[in-house]
Amino acid sequence: MSDSDNVADGQDHSLGPRVIPMQRIVGALVAAGVALGALAGLAITLRVADDMPGVLRWLLPVAWLVFSVLAQVIAYLWPPLHHRRTSYRVDEQGIEIRRGVLWRVVINVPRSRVQHIDVSQGPLERRYGLGTLIVYTAGTDHAKVALAGLEHGRALRIREHLLPSGADDAV
Amino acid sequence: MPSEQRLHPATLLFDLIKHIKAFAVPGVLVMVGASRSTGGPGGMFDGVPSGWETWLSVLLFPAVVITVARYLSCRIVYANNELVIRSGVFFRNERHVPYARIQNLDAVQNPLHRLFHVLEVRVETGGGKEVEARLSVLSLAAFDEMKTHVMAGRSPLAGAVPVADDAEPEPVATAEPLVHLSLRDVILCGLLENKGMVLVGAAAGLAWEANIFGGTSWRVFDVAESMGYGVFRNLFRAVMAGGPLPLLQIGGAIAFVLGALLLVRVVSMVWALVRLYDFRLTRVNDDLRSTFGLFTRVATTVPIRRVQTVIVSASPLHRWLKRVTVCVETAGGVGPKSGATKVREWLAPLLHEPALPALLQQVLPDLEFAALAWQPLHPRAFARAVKPNLVVVATVTIIAAAIIGWDAVGVATLLMPWAILSARQYVAYIGWAETDGVVAMRSGWLWQRVTIARVNKIQAVAMRESPFDRRAAMARVRVDTAGAGELARIDIPYLDGEVARQLADRLSAHAATTTFR
Repeated sequence: MSDSDNVADGQDHSLGPRVIPMQRIVGALVAAGVALGALAGLAITLRVADDMPGVLRWLLPVAWLVFSVLAQVIAYLWPPLHHRRTSYRVDEQGIEIRRGVLWRVVINVPRSRVQHIDVSQGPLERRYGLGTLIVYTAGTDHAKVALAGLEHGRALRIREHLLPSGADDAV
Repeated sequence: MPSEQRLHPATLLFDLIKHIKAFAVPGVLVMVGASRSTGGPGGMFDGVPSGWETWLSVLLFPAVVITVARYLSCRIVYANNELVIRSGVFFRNERHVPYARIQNLDAVQNPLHRLFHVLEVRVETGGGKEVEARLSVLSLAAFDEMKTHVMAGRSPLAGAVPVADDAEPEPVATAEPLVHLSLRDVILCGLLENKGMVLVGAAAGLAWEANIFGGTSWRVFDVAESMGYGVFRNLFRAVMAGGPLPLLQIGGAIAFVLGALLLVRVVSMVWALVRLYDFRLTRVNDDLRSTFGLFTRVATTVPIRRVQTVIVSASPLHRWLKRVTVCVETAGGVGPKSGATKVREWLAPLLHEPALPALLQQVLPDLEFAALAWQPLHPRAFARAVKPNLVVVATVTIIAAAIIGWDAVGVATLLMPWAILSARQYVAYIGWAETDGVVAMRSGWLWQRVTIARVNKIQAVAMRESPFDRRAAMARVRVDTAGAGELARIDIPYLDGEVARQLADRLSAHAATTTFR
């Protein structure tokens, strides 16, 4: 129990600060990928549609540029907002997860309803020492509740704490 | 006291039929396809028409061997607290299902089964997407034995459940069925339920595929296009173009629609008769048992403690006749995210409204249905609910304006009252209630529904705030239970933010402290 005492403190915790640079990298990569795809589409459109009015010929590349830059800016600005709006609380009863910048949600999973728990780590997450905690319940909408961007060690400790101790049957 | 049991000898016959069926469909398709694609019988596969009997026996021989082997190897063992099913000759498989984990025990008996006095048994547990064990076929006596074993094996656990009737020492079946549908009730149920739409839809699809309508409409209406689209489009054009109205065609169209609706109802009644004939619900100890069906008799067993949610619904017709429909959702046979399909069990396809509290008392002993204190939504919920409707009206009006110009004003004046009224009624009829044991929600203006979930079945509680919610300091609370389908979920919108938070906190704390049964 001594190991889990430090996670089950009933306090709201935010994710580790390292999640911000990681999400910025992910966001930048995704935005760049979308921009490249759009660029390819644009090039083909300009090549194929010969009879396009001259205004559009200029307007489309400009629009592409604006959107690509905008996407990069959002990819840079969004992670701090996300970080500020994501928190979790673990106590004896279970785990409460808050997240969402515009559409906010607070999910409560009682400890006794946890079926099993995954802690996963992608390549980038591994680099930043982060992990994703995935809590499975027997429910329908929230059969799988994920919390990404936890410090890996902490995610493991939360898992230890949440795993059902009794042999009760939750269904 | 492990006792052993085998499948009924008729298994041989039924298994063989199943194998033949499995071969027959593709076989027939291949032969039809072959004969059609080349314009002659079996043109493509020269060998098929002459030697197909040999081929069939080549395919069938292994089937016979497999059937016999399966029959001889399959054993059902009733251990102290689990059901053990052994099967297989080379690859032996032994499946252990603890009695306590069995969600429901269903039996299906089609006319052929009835001829041999046997039935097919399905054992469902909470895990996995499929039926845990499908035993085809068992004799009636064997099924009874299985039921006794499962029930006896479960009793130590079941004794811990706070079911009021546990105090009573009589462990026998309620002699009187809790619910029994007479023939008239069953037909009424079909009329109200209106499942016929599905069947007629399927039939229409088939007919369309086979181009039957195309042919008849050519003859009847002298229209070149297919029925439906062409006729109605021409009608619409004729009306829009002004001039003399094509009364005959309008009459025909109306008659067609009315006739179709009538046909749908009749089909629905017949379907209900086949499916729900002689519906009986009885309570045996802590199990609810129902039997129904005209040709194929279905017997289901739902342990009361496995009931996740209870749904009481009523259409306008139901309410006019003072009837309701009662279903329960169990978690049987449905894993997470597998699109809840076969989880809903009838408690009463049709029930006189006055009998409802008594029936609910059986399933949720600690609930007094009449005493539920329904709480309304936030006072300004209407202002929120009406906005999406107004957006829809505005969109439709703009599209209409683009097509028919200023006449769109008429469209808007027609739609606007409906949009406002439906939002008003939607908000007025939504309510939620909370007791020690359950959380309930009612919704719907015309099609009303009450969903009751047991607190000890709550898996997770979520409070959600959209940007609009936050502007109005509101939130919605969603209660997640196992096997909660789209319709059966408790999802209360437009709550006061503070009320929502307290409700969510209370429910999750309550769920955390109850042990689940």
